[in-house]
Amino acid sequence: MPNPVYVPRVNNNDDTVRIVELRVKEGDFVKRGQILGAVETDKAVLDVAAERDGFVLKIVGPPGETAGVGSVLLWLGETADEPMGEEAMAADVVVAAGGTEQPTAKARAMLRELDLDAAAIPAAGKRLTVADIEAWLATQRHPPRAAGTATPAAPEQPPSVPGEFRELTGEERGMLLTVLWHRDSAVHGYLEFEYDPRPWADYAAGYAMQNKLMLSPLLPLLAFRLVELAKASPRVNATIINEQRYEYHSINLGFTVQAGQTLYLGVVQGVQEMSAARFIDALGEVQRHALAHKLRPAESSGATLAFSSMARWNVTRHIPVLPPYTSLIVSHAAPGASGSAVLGASYDHRLLSGFDAAQVLRALAQPPA
Amino acid sequence: MQLDRTAIKAAIRSKVIELAKALDIDATALGDAEIIPATGYLDSSAILELIVWYEQAYDFPLRQEDINIDNLGSIDAMTDFLLACKRR
Repeated sequence: MPNPVYVPRVNNNDDTVRIVELRVKEGDFVKRGQILGAVETDKAVLDVAAERDGFVLKIVGPPGETAGVGSVLLWLGETADEPMGEEAMAADVVVAAGGTEQPTAKARAMLRELDLDAAAIPAAGKRLTVADIEAWLATQRHPPRAAGTATPAAPEQPPSVPGEFRELTGEERGMLLTVLWHRDSAVHGYLEFEYDPRPWADYAAGYAMQNKLMLSPLLPLLAFRLVELAKASPRVNATIINEQRYEYHSINLGFTVQAGQTLYLGVVQGVQEMSAARFIDALGEVQRHALAHKLRPAESSGATLAFSSMARWNVTRHIPVLPPYTSLIVSHAAPGASGSAVLGASYDHRLLSGFDAAQVLRALAQPPA
Repeated sequence: MQLDRTAIKAAIRSKVIELAKALDIDATALGDAEIIPATGYLDSSAILELIVWYEQAYDFPLRQEDINIDNLGSIDAMTDFLLACKRR
């Protein structure tokens, strides 16, 4: 039976993506993990990898097309001449040829909030975006937005000091998106908890010896403990959407990885089902892919909770930025001169109080009994 | 990259020294049989960087279960493991 390869979601705000390239053609045999092509939004580009071995039976979305997230990009079969069923043929139509005029999710929310008609606002691209609305508002001298939301900004003029524009890389755009979400959507709170790091160091050393590990499991074990705490407190693994708490069913742990000049947020999906040993392996694989700049789509998106450490650079405290649509990121740092160390928490105050974040840090400061 | 024992060992040693230097550590005294994680020359992140370099330099993708002290713990172990797997 033919198996579909679906168009992945690049980020939470875009329901369609553009197919940038396909590296295979019909009749080709592909191996599991092989990069089949790439899709992009205006914020990022993602590779699409084969989930299984197989022959490319049919390409549904050719390069240049705009496709709906979750629609079929191509079909794989066990043999090159495997017949295409009715279901496979019917699924083809979900590709949106030439794009859609529907506003982006953020733009729809903004339209609702300001009671505006999308038809009255010109879009610079195929879809109406928040930037389009803000640009239009600037020309309309529209009243200020509701309290708690960002003020529409006029296009920035370059500084008077001579310089030149450079395009941002995909990773830089991702960072920009993260910081803007943190600034515009979350209500940022930060607190920290001083603790004695030696019990954790001893626990990790014992774990490494018992399991004959080559790498220190300290950070993975801390991150895994955070996941266990989130399992017991679902509000930690949630976000706010349209003034409602959206509790995730899965715990997808984001973990920062510095690969040369690039900072990635690697993601291990479905950690709630894993043992500590399985998580350490899964995180190790994500870290290796990040260091090789070969993160797969599922390893670089969808974080619901996050952990970051700057201990290796002897940073003794840092205040991390919340990844989009998370309510908590915990920061780990190097011990100070006194021997004590600091665990920090950036949290979304719309969901968590300082007490909530402090309770997590207090529990995290102690290794499992 | 040359699959000669002496050349492989020299390349691994050179990479360890380079990664340690980025941490302000001099690893030039590292012995071929010394267990790299135990020397303290490299932290976990640097060891991961070493492993990723090893995979790429020798076109040698590792499985997660391959990453252990027996296979990759020292310059000698990394060299022996690479040559043994390439000969299979």
